[in-house]
Amino acid sequence: MRGAVLFLLVFALLPFLPLGVWRAYLLDAGVFMLLYTALALSWDLVARTGQLSLAHGAFFGLGAYGVGLLVPHVGTLPALVLGSLLAGCFALLLGSVTLRLHGLYFAIASLAFSEVLRTLALKLPFTGGPIGLAVPPAFGGGVPLAPYYLAFAVLAVAVGLSLWAERGPFRLAQAACRQSEPVARVLGVRVVRVKLLSLLLGSLVAGLAGGVYAMKALFINPYEAFSLGRAVEALVIPIFGGLYTTLGPLLGGVVLVGLEQVLRLWIQEGYLVVYGAILILVILFLPRGLLGLLGRRRG
Amino acid sequence: MAKVLEVQGVSKRFLGLRALQGVTLHLGENEILAVIGPNGAGKSTLLNVISGLLRPDAGQVLLLGQDVTHFPPEARTHLGLGRAFQIPSPLPELTVWENLLVGALFGKPGRSRREAEAWVEEVLRLTGLYPKAEALAGELTLLEDKRLELARALATAPRVLLLDEVMAGLRPKEAQEAVDLVRRIRDTGVSVLFIEHLMPVVRALADRVVVLDYGEVIAEGTYEQVAQEERVREAYLGRRA
Repeated sequence: MRGAVLFLLVFALLPFLPLGVWRAYLLDAGVFMLLYTALALSWDLVARTGQLSLAHGAFFGLGAYGVGLLVPHVGTLPALVLGSLLAGCFALLLGSVTLRLHGLYFAIASLAFSEVLRTLALKLPFTGGPIGLAVPPAFGGGVPLAPYYLAFAVLAVAVGLSLWAERGPFRLAQAACRQSEPVARVLGVRVVRVKLLSLLLGSLVAGLAGGVYAMKALFINPYEAFSLGRAVEALVIPIFGGLYTTLGPLLGGVVLVGLEQVLRLWIQEGYLVVYGAILILVILFLPRGLLGLLGRRRG
Repeated sequence: MAKVLEVQGVSKRFLGLRALQGVTLHLGENEILAVIGPNGAGKSTLLNVISGLLRPDAGQVLLLGQDVTHFPPEARTHLGLGRAFQIPSPLPELTVWENLLVGALFGKPGRSRREAEAWVEEVLRLTGLYPKAEALAGELTLLEDKRLELARALATAPRVLLLDEVMAGLRPKEAQEAVDLVRRIRDTGVSVLFIEHLMPVVRALADRVVVLDYGEVIAEGTYEQVAQEERVREAYLGRRA
């Protein structure tokens, strides 16, 4: 809890620090760090029920397209909320059909879901097809720090939800679903409801992140908005940082996204080789992620 | 005696293999009923049908007078059905306390957090698990695992308790303790249906015994009565040459 608040505090104050010539670059990279970390937390929220989601890239894309299509008509904040709700509606649809599936089967169903949505984005008449969609900047571009603080707000929402889910009865319900579904049911846990609520919350946050991303990137296309790579990144960060916690994905997001940026500047071509090697080392030697270094028990 | 649990003509097949065939039995209020039978007789399948983890192909299950045949397991738990598994299945990353709290919080709707915690304390005392409350459930000994299995079923505050071979693997002294514990549980107003292979336990504990063989009920009565029956002896020892 204290660790998570500390993270948020640092991010909140970052634009006021004397960053010198690095300021513009850091704040730019910071937006993506905030958004991917929020996405990772939203994935972890679902993983805590034992469901491996590969649909988080799609929820992100739904938020991005929702915002892209709506911003010109309704303005920045309403578009963000509606984009997030769009992702939530699709999550309920996906969940009500597939949440009776377990583990890998759910993962495959969620992957298929992403592919269907990408195809829809390619073929529907109002999405701009394969060329994509130009998105206006947040608040018409008049507020320079707007993308940064919108991204910060999304992460704050993700952290708030995650901390709530980590405390009290909901945590026990999620942990019981994850560790044994038959046992959870016999103990009276409404398993389907717990999984559906987790997926809904996760998708709402992922949709918000996608929406802010669209207004920062200013251009989205189906291949990028619904990319499998982003779904994979959403799960790599929590595994790297420490699963089923709030602090793990926060730590993982900052270190991993930061590492990616540094490596890209430092070795340019082939930075992914070093990135991959570090990932493999962590997974091999820190099965509980970076949090394992801090000696915390998970549960 | 009022019937708290009724199984009527239940049949279940797995890919053509007959697991249960027209099984009819009942459990009376405050009764301890043993279901015995050779390996593969369908005892665990019966328990899975009663608790809702399996749907029967035919027949009905009535819990406290209500037809629950199409209810999911959690709904049956909310009505007052508790279940301990044959293979202890703790939620390994939660503590013993938290394992029980899951049952206490979700097993009985409308219970406040404080009521649930008070009840968990009581169950911990009753089952002798109090000193282990803060231990991770994945790090218990076999005996403690078995106790947790029983305690967690109790945590849902059941009126009908299903026990699947909870004594298996226990030493005689430990089994005796478990027998005493089940009696104490019954004395709090819980009706118990248990599956058991250890005949001394069945003899000591059961008010009534039902014998299953190849998925069918072949005998019913007191321990002494069923032990006399030719078909029961054949089922266990084979037909006399």
